[in-house]
Amino acid sequence: MESSGRRTFLGVCLGGLAAAVAAAVTWPVYRYLAPRSTATTAAKVEIPEKDVPEGEAKFFEFNGASAVLVRKRGDGLIALSAVCTHLGCIVQWEKDQQYFLCPCHGGHYTAEGVVISGPPPKPLTKLPFTVANGVITVG
Amino acid sequence: MALLKRLIDWIDVRIGAREVVAKELTGYLLPRNINTWYSMGSILLFIFVLQVVTGILLLIYYVPDADKAFKSVTYIMNEVPFGWLIRMCHVVGSSMMVLVLLLHMISVLFMNSYKSPREFNWLTGFILFTMVQGISLTGYLLPWSQLSFWATTVATNSANAIPVVGPYLVEFLRGGKLVGPPTLGRFFALHVALIPAGIVALVGAHLFFLQRTGVSTPPFGLKDTTDQWKGDGYSYENHPGGIPFFPNYALEDLRSIFIYIACFLAVVFFDPYLFFTRDAFLPANPLQTPAHIKPEWYFLANYQTLKIFPSEFIGLAVQGIAMTFLALLPFIDRSPERHPLKRPLFMACALGGLLLWIGLSVWGHYS
Amino acid sequence: MRYQEIVMHVSGRVFALLSLLAVALAPLPAVAAELPEIVCIQCHSTMPGRFGEPVTLWKGSIHAENGIACNACHGGDSKDAANAMSPARGFLGAPKETAIPAFCGRCHVGVMRDYLASAHGKALGKGGPTCVTCHSNHHVVKASLELINEKSCSRCHSFERARLIRDAMQETEGMIVAIDGKIARYKEEGTDTEGMEKGLFAVRNRFHTLFHNVDVALVKKESAGIQGDLKKIQDQLTALDNSHQKRKIAGAVVVSAMLLLALFTHLLRKTYD
Repeated sequence: MESSGRRTFLGVCLGGLAAAVAAAVTWPVYRYLAPRSTATTAAKVEIPEKDVPEGEAKFFEFNGASAVLVRKRGDGLIALSAVCTHLGCIVQWEKDQQYFLCPCHGGHYTAEGVVISGPPPKPLTKLPFTVANGVITVG
Repeated sequence: MALLKRLIDWIDVRIGAREVVAKELTGYLLPRNINTWYSMGSILLFIFVLQVVTGILLLIYYVPDADKAFKSVTYIMNEVPFGWLIRMCHVVGSSMMVLVLLLHMISVLFMNSYKSPREFNWLTGFILFTMVQGISLTGYLLPWSQLSFWATTVATNSANAIPVVGPYLVEFLRGGKLVGPPTLGRFFALHVALIPAGIVALVGAHLFFLQRTGVSTPPFGLKDTTDQWKGDGYSYENHPGGIPFFPNYALEDLRSIFIYIACFLAVVFFDPYLFFTRDAFLPANPLQTPAHIKPEWYFLANYQTLKIFPSEFIGLAVQGIAMTFLALLPFIDRSPERHPLKRPLFMACALGGLLLWIGLSVWGHYS
Repeated sequence: MRYQEIVMHVSGRVFALLSLLAVALAPLPAVAAELPEIVCIQCHSTMPGRFGEPVTLWKGSIHAENGIACNACHGGDSKDAANAMSPARGFLGAPKETAIPAFCGRCHVGVMRDYLASAHGKALGKGGPTCVTCHSNHHVVKASLELINEKSCSRCHSFERARLIRDAMQETEGMIVAIDGKIARYKEEGTDTEGMEKGLFAVRNRFHTLFHNVDVALVKKESAGIQGDLKKIQDQLTALDNSHQKRKIAGAVVVSAMLLLALFTHLLRKTYD
């Protein structure tokens, strides 16, 4: 019977395409649910200790943005993001006053990145680092 | 396949599966002149299921805390693989649900299928309508954007106009004097748990009544289009000589669902931000009201109605009365005639009302 | 009997109209309360002439957009009307011409330093321009290359040297404006543009500050570096463009698949007639 043959053919087409669509739906849902790989860690940056004398700051690039290493007077080393938390300008190190100043709207931060005055809403983000064999590894 | 037959036999001797299939599917006869509008209900069921699935997926990454909500949604949209797709399906889906629900309601209205003995269907449908509005309103707040925050402020403010209990009701809805973290808490509970459970329960009731009473015959192409129901005793509305639900109408419903999905995905992939304004992507700022706050498109008519009347209370009352009439329609309109073209006055009023609603919505959009 | 039928018919129709009159429920009225204005604006907005003008001018400024009000520059107490202009509360009044750079430079530090080192800065108090000369004092708008124009610059000298520096900055400025537009469009779609916005802001500021040295050679030298930074942002935007293009193609495929499924179902349905 012609109708029956057509029915089977159409049924197969329908079923086949529906299965393909179902597979196409399962893939994004699986990816959505799958645990994220924590391999989104940024490449580490290494800086020799002697590049950061006491009372001075060294700016470098970390994770695609500007960062800074500061060695305070009294030998305390800190790694911070140098992106001002106000609107994103890069802060400058004022050696005479030993603090950070943002040239855009005058935001002031201590050597630890804490906001002293001005428009910045949050402190500068701290970055993790280790020191070994005269080399500072940030990240 | 012999194995398949043995499996079905095994199930059949335990629960009488073949009997159920014969009664509900292949033996369930329906009138021959059923049109595409009858598929709207199935489409709505599909939309609801998709909303629940995408909603649960979103729940995995969304954080219902005023400080973290916006960031979590930004995370879903930008970092989670296909997060943008799940979220936009949920957003577009909610507008689609309201749209298809309106189409469903309007088609039932025009085909006069709300009349006796189908009052229960109309009532449960009406309650579902208000629940869908409620779930849309509560869901709107969750991203905690400027749009969320201020649209909710405006919406909850409206209860102020109710005499005596108004101001207290506003506070109760918000969980405080102003929209804030307590509002997010209660709206989240409503949106994710209470209202979906309510919708499931009422859809169950709606389908039960449909099953019990029997599907209505469209009034088109018939010689006698008056309501035959006597009201002297219960009887299931049979359609002898009709065609079986399975596979005929099951396939028609499936076809309608596929066409719906095509339209839905076209919006999701090519213009998903149709319903968004700039404020939807700015984090909520309780200290800064944006210039033009408008509610979602399905609330524009209400918004405009309230703007027209000088007193907020009258604006609210007018809408309340109208909604009550809509709910009680089957009790008020008892004329036995069902064919729309044989009811010119009814059609004029119904079409007039519909055009008025559309007009108010458009006006609300441009005002 | 007849009369009852008529009544039922009429009421049915009337109610049909009214019921469709307001199909939806939730009412949405009024507007949220506005925050109270500071005392400076409360008084000065009611004053005539040059005392009231600054308020209107300020309202259209980028300072007003970002919540920087009178006391941020002029000091004083913005909440206490009686002591609003008291020097004890830090009120500075309107600065004298030579004090203007330091006045604006309390916030705009970088620009002040560049300006003071420049030919413009060295001419301060000797007929040279101050910040206000080009940027105006209350109607300060987002800086753009349009501030360097014939009308403004030829007040003191020929436009030729101003044109040189503007030409040197034109290309980079064009890139900045284009990127700014693209970021704005992506933001409207929920893309997380925070990183790019901050990056662009930093570069844009570095670039505009550069002008204040009024040194064409310096501008040309720094432009290469600045364009390099801009290119990094542009690359991010291009990557976004590509992924969004892929989404559109995927969309076309799924929509077609759905329509095809609908077609098969329809044909299958027809075989049962």
